[in-house]
Amino acid sequence: MTSAPDPSPRPIRVPLTQLRRGQRAIVHCDAIDGLPEGDRCLLHAMGMHDECHIRVCSPGTPCIVQIDSTRLGLSADVAGRILVTPIDDAGVAGTRAP
Amino acid sequence: MTAPRSMPRIAVLGNPNTGKTTLFNRLCGVRARTANFPGSTVEGRVGVHRSPAGDAELELVDLPGCYSLSIDFPESQVCRDCLDGGIDGVEPDAMLVVVDATNLRRNLQFAAQALTRRLPAVVALNMWDAASTRADRVDPAALARGLGCPVVPVSARTGEGLPALDVALDTVSGLPFGPDALVARLQKLPPADAPAPALAAWADTVVRQSMAAPGVAPEPRRDALVDRVDVALTHPFLGIAVFAVTMAALFSAIFMVASVPMDLIDLVFGTLTERVHAVLPEGILADLLADGILAGIGGVVIFLPQICLLFFLLSLLEDSGYLARAAFAVDRIMRRFGLSGPSFIPLLSSHACALPGIMSTRLIRDDRERLATILVAPFMTCSARLPVYVLLIGILSVGRPAWFAGVAFTACYALGAGAGLVSALIARRTILRGPARPLVMELPPYRIPGLRNALLVTWDRARVFLRNAGTTILAISVVMWWLSAFPRATEADDRTQQAASFAGQLGEAVQPAFAPLGFDSQLTVGVMTSFLAREVFVSTMAILAGTGADADLGDETVLQQVAAMPRADGAPVFDPPTAAAALVFFVLAMQCLPTLAVTRRETGSWKWPAIQLGWMTVVAYAGAWIAHATVAAFTGGGA
Repeated sequence: MTSAPDPSPRPIRVPLTQLRRGQRAIVHCDAIDGLPEGDRCLLHAMGMHDECHIRVCSPGTPCIVQIDSTRLGLSADVAGRILVTPIDDAGVAGTRAP
Repeated sequence: MTAPRSMPRIAVLGNPNTGKTTLFNRLCGVRARTANFPGSTVEGRVGVHRSPAGDAELELVDLPGCYSLSIDFPESQVCRDCLDGGIDGVEPDAMLVVVDATNLRRNLQFAAQALTRRLPAVVALNMWDAASTRADRVDPAALARGLGCPVVPVSARTGEGLPALDVALDTVSGLPFGPDALVARLQKLPPADAPAPALAAWADTVVRQSMAAPGVAPEPRRDALVDRVDVALTHPFLGIAVFAVTMAALFSAIFMVASVPMDLIDLVFGTLTERVHAVLPEGILADLLADGILAGIGGVVIFLPQICLLFFLLSLLEDSGYLARAAFAVDRIMRRFGLSGPSFIPLLSSHACALPGIMSTRLIRDDRERLATILVAPFMTCSARLPVYVLLIGILSVGRPAWFAGVAFTACYALGAGAGLVSALIARRTILRGPARPLVMELPPYRIPGLRNALLVTWDRARVFLRNAGTTILAISVVMWWLSAFPRATEADDRTQQAASFAGQLGEAVQPAFAPLGFDSQLTVGVMTSFLAREVFVSTMAILAGTGADADLGDETVLQQVAAMPRADGAPVFDPPTAAAALVFFVLAMQCLPTLAVTRRETGSWKWPAIQLGWMTVVAYAGAWIAHATVAAFTGGGA
């Protein structure tokens, strides 16, 4: 017996480094790996927790993102490990077909 | 740290960049001192706050800014220890939690962690001058209900709200805080071990319920201008160019402005030395006072104007928000050498003097990266090297085009910085192996820096500098004076005394080791006596050339006499290969005992200063040998 495929579209997940300036996104902290535990905890304490909204102030590597009223500078090795789902101005997440 | 228990102790804590230290400075003024927390390299400050009426005193402990009380970073550990009474066995009587009113949601997450402690607390809603004009401002009374403790809106920058904060601190520090009070507060807070998303959700709810204008949602600012400035200041090329210009202006200002008080200090100590010789009968006591103690103290104090200016200007740059951007911009370059952006400020400071540079490595979180930065900081060209450069480049420039001296000076700076970075890379791949820590740093908002705060920081740093370096160098000066003054020569002239002294004998004994660099015994004595402080080289060579210890490099005759110094066989001491070798040696060698002492203090072990001294000496010797051989090959000269 096989289960039926899930027909709902999946949110796109891309590395933070691929976002453009001004673009907004939702962070998936469950996907951050390869960072020391201390740095993961620091990111959380600085406001970058799961499902938080960010805005890209300066794209590329390294990059600057804004979380709430905090601007964070992230080196390439950190930004490249953070997966995000881009959202539009209305807060709707980008999706891809299943 | 010791706790005078005659007054209540208040722990001041909060996120970085909340204006916590500005508020502390505002409350304590000059009645504060820097303190090292036991078992940690983290620095904090302890001060006494007097109520405006002068009838009450509080001891404030300014804890290092941290993002969370639960993570395993030194600053978080220090905060936990202090709140638990683990610093000197005394718990604080109350907490002052400083939050940034313009960034409440994140700051409240830290406040929630702090407020779960069984201590009475006051929350200072700082930067209220900026927050109170926004549509999404909170109502402090509503926020106090949400947090279960008094909330006082203040502006550390302007002093607004400080009387109310006085009253609140006085009240909570005098009241008992029993289990019932804690339970009532805990009911309003998330659990102490709540995960980050739960803390964020709680903070969001509290902020929404505390809005001054009903229906207004808290909205982060999206400033397109700040975005553009950030892009420019952190750009790989433009950002570095802006940084280079800023640093050039900073160092020009330091060297230009500091020269006046430095000359004045030099004059004062020169006059004092003359007075000592005039008043006291000639002998050991007069020599000890004048050439040992006064020369030692003067040798340190003369750099104080540069140190003060450096910290003052760096404090202004830091408060403005620029310094964090500069560190971020150079992170890419530093990373290639096993370091990261936070290592850059200490290396930058070391261009004025390695002592404050090494002390400022406390900002670096990664222990190995911090050690690597400490080890290579003395490679940066400090102001004490400049007199030596002037002398040796002056000798090398004779008969050469006018641009030669400028190029040589620049090359010396580049050689020092390059050797430091390559040494850091070697250290990070061998004894301090490990990748550069990923850079995660907050870029604080751009602000107009406060002069009062910068002056208080400068005052505090100057005291630390004088205490740390002054005491060490004074003791060493006396020892070096003894080595150069004894045994007493039968003839009274300086040159004979230098040769007959223990230092002189040591120079003779060690000279064979320096022979491959072209150094004769006189130049070796110069190198040996300048082990204490490299600028001593100039006065030693002037004495050996027969011009006197108070030689002025502006005097052409001194330069010519030193340049024309003969070896025992009549050949010049400073032929081009030897002068080049000596220059490279002084660019790369340690030759600064106070730096070794500060390295010992900051690393807590003699192992690291020993490695630092050994490595720099090897690099300096190898570099000088290569310089000697290269110049000799081109000129056909060399001893």
